This record gives sequence, structure tokens and C-alpha cells, in this order.
Amino acid sequence: MAEINRRTGGFGAWLLDPKRRGALLVTPAIVILFVMNIFPLLWSFGLSFFNYKASSLKVPTFRGLSNYERVLTDEKVWERFQTTAIIVGSSVILQLIIGFLLALMFAKAFPMRRIVLMLVLTPMMLSFVSVGVFFKLFYEPTFGIVSYLLSAFTEDRFVVLGSPAGAIAGIVIADAWMWSPFVMLLVLAGLVSVPKYLYEAAEIDRASSLRRFWTITFPYIKSLLLLAVLFRTIETFKLFDIVYIITEGGPGSSTETIAVYLYRTAFQFFKTSQSSALAYIVLFIVVVMTNLYLYAVNRRAEEVG
Amino acid sequence: MTKRYREIGKAGWSYTLITSLVGLIYFSPVLWIILTSFKTRTDALAVPPKLFFTPTLDNFASVFYRSSITTGTSQATDMALYFFNSIFIAGTSVGLALIVGTLAAYAFSRYPLRGNDTYLFIILTTRMMPPIVVIIPIFLMFRLSGLAGSYWGIILLYTAFNIPFSVWLVKSFFDELNPEIEDAARMDGASEGRVFFRFCIPQILAGLSATFVFGLILTWNEFLFALLLTGVETRTVPVAMARTLGGEVGVDYGLLAAIVTLFLLPIFFVTFLLQNQLLRGVTFGTVKK
Amino acid sequence: MTIELKNLTKRFGDLTAVDTVNFDVGDGEVLCLLGPSGCGKTTTLRMIAGLEYATEGDVFLNSKRVNELAPRDRNVAMSFQFYALYPSLTVAENLAFPLYAEGLSSSEIEARVQKISDTLQLGGILKRTPGQLAEGEKQRVAVGRSIIRDPTCFLFDEPLSRLDVQLREEMRGEIKEVLQDLSRPTVIVTHDQLEALTMADRIAVMRDGRVEQVDTPHNVFQKPTNLFVAGFIGTPQMNLVPATLSELKGAGKAEFAVKGGQSMTIEVDPRIQELSVGTNVTLGVRPRNLEISQEKSQDGLSTTIDMVEPMGAETLIHLNDGHQDLRLVTDWRVSLSEGQQVNTSFPPGVTHVFTDDEKVLRTS
Repeated sequence: MAEINRRTGGFGAWLLDPKRRGALLVTPAIVILFVMNIFPLLWSFGLSFFNYKASSLKVPTFRGLSNYERVLTDEKVWERFQTTAIIVGSSVILQLIIGFLLALMFAKAFPMRRIVLMLVLTPMMLSFVSVGVFFKLFYEPTFGIVSYLLSAFTEDRFVVLGSPAGAIAGIVIADAWMWSPFVMLLVLAGLVSVPKYLYEAAEIDRASSLRRFWTITFPYIKSLLLLAVLFRTIETFKLFDIVYIITEGGPGSSTETIAVYLYRTAFQFFKTSQSSALAYIVLFIVVVMTNLYLYAVNRRAEEVG
Repeated sequence: MTKRYREIGKAGWSYTLITSLVGLIYFSPVLWIILTSFKTRTDALAVPPKLFFTPTLDNFASVFYRSSITTGTSQATDMALYFFNSIFIAGTSVGLALIVGTLAAYAFSRYPLRGNDTYLFIILTTRMMPPIVVIIPIFLMFRLSGLAGSYWGIILLYTAFNIPFSVWLVKSFFDELNPEIEDAARMDGASEGRVFFRFCIPQILAGLSATFVFGLILTWNEFLFALLLTGVETRTVPVAMARTLGGEVGVDYGLLAAIVTLFLLPIFFVTFLLQNQLLRGVTFGTVKK
Repeated sequence: MTIELKNLTKRFGDLTAVDTVNFDVGDGEVLCLLGPSGCGKTTTLRMIAGLEYATEGDVFLNSKRVNELAPRDRNVAMSFQFYALYPSLTVAENLAFPLYAEGLSSSEIEARVQKISDTLQLGGILKRTPGQLAEGEKQRVAVGRSIIRDPTCFLFDEPLSRLDVQLREEMRGEIKEVLQDLSRPTVIVTHDQLEALTMADRIAVMRDGRVEQVDTPHNVFQKPTNLFVAGFIGTPQMNLVPATLSELKGAGKAEFAVKGGQSMTIEVDPRIQELSVGTNVTLGVRPRNLEISQEKSQDGLSTTIDMVEPMGAETLIHLNDGHQDLRLVTDWRVSLSEGQQVNTSFPPGVTHVFTDDEKVLRTS
């Protein structure tokens, strides 16, 4: 094909020139991404400077930076960021601990490992909706199993979601349960990449298990742990579905994360432009975190390579 | 002391026992959901919660057939359509993303352009970005272009959603291949297409399947875009699930659990089959042998 | 201190990796396990270390049976093929690592590290991490780490395989020197016969999990016990010529017929008398022992020169008589050219006669 075209010349030849082959192969991906992601991003960037309301037919007017000003001076927004930070922080720490312990457990080869591993991986495969709905049921004061089990220790039926702290704990547990397996997979990948001969050398050198962990295991997984922290932080930062279903942001606004608040601003109050401005602030934070993430990926690549 | 030494990294059946115990505890919420799917409406909301009960298949039946009170006949629900939608939409978009992403990944790996890293960064950012950031313009865009409620709209969107991940992951697999083999094939007169399909692709099949599973897990369960952008005909199961929550009589947990259980099965088996590949995928391919 | 293996066997499923291996290594003795890859030499070494346990048979260290002991309880030192340096530790920390288990004071540890680094000239790189080292340096550190302790025995798995030729020669001497001072039983696994011949006190040649011969380097070369050892040891490879015993002439003299109709009368081991005329044998003669004679003689074959390969001080000549290839090494000054007709001669006493079961005919 390319041969013929090169001889006959014309557009086909120009397009299939080896010089352009890389660009040609990338084009479909870039086009789809541009239409479905980048163009909407630019659009919402534009919207953030107007006072557009998706629910009204009025012609939007240019408002400059006032949307950003309003969002950044809004105390509510800062409260939401705080709530998000608390949920993200505690959930990621919990995921790390559980994921790490699970990974240590599965790092060995044992009979039926494939099947037992599936038990632990399943939560990750559930939809947010079902995790949300059923954890809400588990926490339910009358019918819920958690409240039932807790009533063995407390006099009354324990209302998990009744207090801000309880509600946050409820969300964090559901989210951490769902995503600890992901951290486990990451850490496991690190553990299996440790050359076996290092452990053998440590055995010959009669190293204690603690020393073996710190000199051999930990160096191999530390950047993967960092990777896990960043990836899960970015993902949990976007936490929406579980919160929306379990608590709807309540009680009060104590569990309203930035993503839930954004959803409300955009689709319940239809403050489209204002929500775009806030969305851009969120995006900025995510880009910064992505950079950190890339840094971690590259460091890992260097260490392994 | 002088206990028999086991080879490093190996354990026996007693270890299986311990891990399955931990595994079962971790699995118990899922188990509870599965149990609930076999409960009658009364059993599902019994006080105290019931662990032992007479199982019923009614919930699974009513996922697909609902008996009408007025006529007494049973009528098919749309759930079969929603299951089809979920499989069709997730399968097509993840597959498309894999094809498009693999082409791009090959280019990024073999024909480095100027500004390669910038492109890759932009691509990754679109993956990390909260969907909520783009949802308003996409919503407006779909409404204006008439894509809202169509298969193509949601498929294209999910494809875009999966491309960054595919590009990054597959690129790392290509990077690990030895390009000398490709050069040797070229010297022997193989065309570019042949080099790509006969030499590169077969070597990274494991990586491609890991990418597929990961994309599938994420797309299978996507809710927000599906809620806003699918119509009656193209609704996916997570949206349909959320819709069973409404209504005056409260949530029918048995029915919901049956849907969740059925919905879990396909993804569970795909994951089980490709489990070994998954370990690589999760680190964005940074783990080398 | 000693190492002793008795009927040591290791099976992985259906595969027998090590098959009833017996040998012992005395105090201060260096034994090389030599064989092609996959012959089970590394598995044998790992069983001594305790990294694999024996399916059958026993390992004795210091006359104590250690089959059930974990490596840490056997007190062995081992250097791995891929060095197994701890990547996150500096060279000094790597060297000190085996000492932590001994509960030494930090000043004592420092002194020992210092001593080893003097012996192996590691002074300049003590602060570096393995990633910053050249192959030769890594190798030195690996050796250093294994000899810093005072173990029952030393085990080396392919210690020089990853070095280039020049470094290998250098390290060979260095390791030999270090080992002489240690006076502990040492087992070295290698696939390189030159390494084995130079470093070992005794060599155990292995094939397919079995030990074919255990002997001094000299004897393994001079008196191979079977066809495999004869072919494996020595470069260029020994000439192996299939032949039929056609006549016994007494006093170790016999006439052999080779393929293609030529026959020759040569002097071999007197035990040739035990064979009957018509027996098929394989004649083995080293290329350096073959001689060129101007006239056609009774004790050789007449051949044509196929190829002349100068090797510096000597010249390797490939000969062919239409049915079998012979290799012959002469002094570089002998001038020969391709296509030339030459007669070879098999001098008395250099030809090994191998019977059909690959065993050699020899008096002692």
C-alpha cells in the first residue's frame, strides 16, 4: 500500500509517509479525547467567566473572574474542602493499612490462592450504587446488621449515621472496604517483583525477619506505596456516589464532599457558571496531584529499571 | 529451632485455612448481599437480621418478570434490555478504547514525537480529572447534538474515558519489548503492518487482557454519566438499580440484591480468568520482571 | 570441617534434577562442580546451603546430618550468581549484613568490614550502593560478604560468569588466593572448565544430575573415566573416532578399522586384550597428542586438510578422510595449507579406548 502510494504521490502518499506514521497512529485517540474531554473542558472553562444558568433561557453575560471570587470567598466551599480532606485522609490511610496487610498475606504461594484472592478482590468489582445502598442498609438503626451487632455492646440501637463523626466513619469504612483490594494489588505487585535470591541471601546471612523486611521488602514497595497513596487520594478526592447514596451529605452538611457540593450547585441549584469555576479549582488540585503521581511512577520506573 | 525448612515464599494448607478465614470476613458484606437476594421481602428486613432462612428464587424471577396485580399475568421487565445495554456499552467502549489506545501507545513507544511527554501528561490528566468537571458541558453538548440517550453518545464517552488508561498501560508493555526483534523482522522484509500484528501484538496479549479487565471494572459500574446521559432505551444496570430505590413502598432489598448478584457474575468470571494479568495492570505496567 | 553428600537426590515432580550424588569435601579443599547448564550442579549447591531440601539422601556438615536444618541454622556462606547484593544498602552495610546475626559490637563489625575491604580492595567504594558499581566490583562485594563470617563452608554459584574475560582471569587468581587463607571446605559451581581446572583441588564433573567423575584437575583431564568427561574437558575438544577392533596384536597393540575402510595399528591400554575382535569402540585422542607424519604409516589415518585455524602460538588443523573429522594442534611454525594431503599418527599411550557403555579401558 504505502509503496504504491509513494510512487503515485498525492494525498495518500503524504499521509502514509513514515515521517507522519507516529502522528497518524495517535490521531484517533487524540480526536476522541478532544471531542469528549478536552473540548468540554474548554467549554466549561469559558462558562466559568459568565453567569450562565442551565435552567434559564436568559442570554448569559460576561462576569470576568467574579465566579472564582465568589467560590473562593465562600465559607461553605472551604468547609466542603475540609470535609473532603478528612474523608480522603482517613479513607486512604485505612486502605493503605488494610491493603498492605492483605498483600503480605497473599505474597506467599499457597494452595487455592487464586480462589481465596477472588474473595478479597470482589468488593472492587461492585458498583458504587450497590455498595452505597447495602452499606446504608447495614448501618440502618432498625434492620441493619452493624447496628444489631453493635447493640451487643451498647444499650440502645446504635444510629451509625446519626452523628457527623459516625456518618463520616460510615462512609470511610464503605469506601476503604471497596478500595483496599486495589492497594493490595499494587503492594502485591511490588512484593512479587522482589528477586527471590535476595530473600535467599538474607536467609544465608541469618537476617532477622524485621531486618529482612526493612532492607529487602520495604525498599521494593516504598515507591509503590507512594503510588498507591497518590492514586487513591486522587480517586477518593472525587468521591461522589457512595456519599450521595449513604448520607446525601448529611447529617446537616457534615459529609458533603466537594464532589457532592459541586453536583448540587450544578444540578440542584443550576448555578452552572459558578459550578464550572469551582470545577476548575478542583481540576487544578487534581493536576497538581497528577504531577506528583507521575513523579512517583517515574521514580518507580527508575528504581526497577 | 530445628523445624523443617520450607522453601521461601511457599506455604501449605494450614495457611490456606487462615487466609480463607480472613478472605471470608472481608467477603462477608458481599455474602450478605448474595444471601439477601434469596430472601423474601420480610426476611430481608427481619429484626434481628436473619442468617438462616428458607431461600427463594422469587427475587431473581422478578428481576426479569413482574406479575401485574390487575391482570394477574406476568410481564417482562426491561431488565434484560438493561443487562444487554451494560454488556454492549461496556464491551464496545472498552474494546474501542483498547484498539485506539493500542495504536496510540505503539506510536508513543516507537515513534517518539516532539512534545511526547506533554501529550502523555494531558492524556493522563483527563483520566485523573473528576468527571463532574466535564459533566455540565458534556450534558449541554449531548443535548444540543442529539447524542443524549443514544448508544453512540455513551459509547464514545466511555471510550474517551478509557483511552488514557489504555494508552499508558499498553505503552508500558510496548516499552518492555525488545525492538531488535521488530528490526530483524523489517530486515527480513516484513511490512509495518505485519511487524505490528505478527510480532508486537502477540507478545503483549497478556498486557492487553489486563488493560481490558481494568477498563471493564471501571466502566461496568459507572453511574454518574450513565444517569445523566442514557435514555429509556440505553439505560445501564447501575442506573436501573438506582431507580429501584425510589417508590412509596421503600427499597426492595431482595430484588436489588438479586440484580447486584447477577450484575457481579460476568465481571467476576472475567476477572477470575484474567487474574494473573491483573497484577501487572494495576501498577500501570511499571513492574518489570 | 567437612562437607559430605550421601546419595543426594532431588526430584521436581517427574524430573530428577540431582541423581544419587556422592562426594565429600575436606577442610581447606576447593571442589568445583562442573557441567553443562541444566546438569543439576546449582541444585546440588542449593541443597548443601539448605535453600532446597533433598528428596532423598543426606547432607552432612562437619559429620552432622543437616537435612532438616534451615539455611540460617547451617552456618554456611554463599555467594549467588546474580550477587544478591541488597540494593538499598551501601557496600559497607552489605558487607556488615551477615554479622548482625552474630551479635557483634559495632566496633567489631567495623573492624571486620575494614579487614575485608583491605583484602579485596574495596576501600574506595564502601559508601556506594550496588546500583553504582561495575560488574567486577559487585562480584568482589559478593565474595566479601560471603567470607566476612567464619562459616562451616563456602559455596559459590557461578562466581565469575558475569565478568568479561580479562576480569575473570584476574578474579580467578584473587579468589584462589583468598580461599587458600580461609581453609574451609569450598564448593564452586561453574560451567567454565578453565575456571574449574585452575581453581579446584578436585573437580566433580556432572551430567543429567549424576556425578560422572570426581578427581584432581590433572586426572580429570588425563584420565577421563568415560566418553562424556573425555569430550567435555579440554579445548579443542578430544577427537572421538568410532572404530571396530579388528585384530589383537599383544602388548597393548591392536588394529582398528574405521569407517571408510582405513585401518590402523596403535598401542593402547593392555586391557584391550579383554575385548573380542569385532567389538565396536570409540577411540579418543587429544588434538595436541596427534602427530603429523610425512609417509603413510601404520599407526594413523591419511587425511586431507580442511581448514587451518591459527591460534597464536599453535595452529589448529581440521582434517578429514571423507568419513571422519579430526582436529590436530601443531606448533605455529609448521606450515601447512588447505587441501594438502597429510598422514596422521596416533603415538603409543595417548589413545583412550571407550567401550559401548562409554566406559574407558584402563589398567588402574
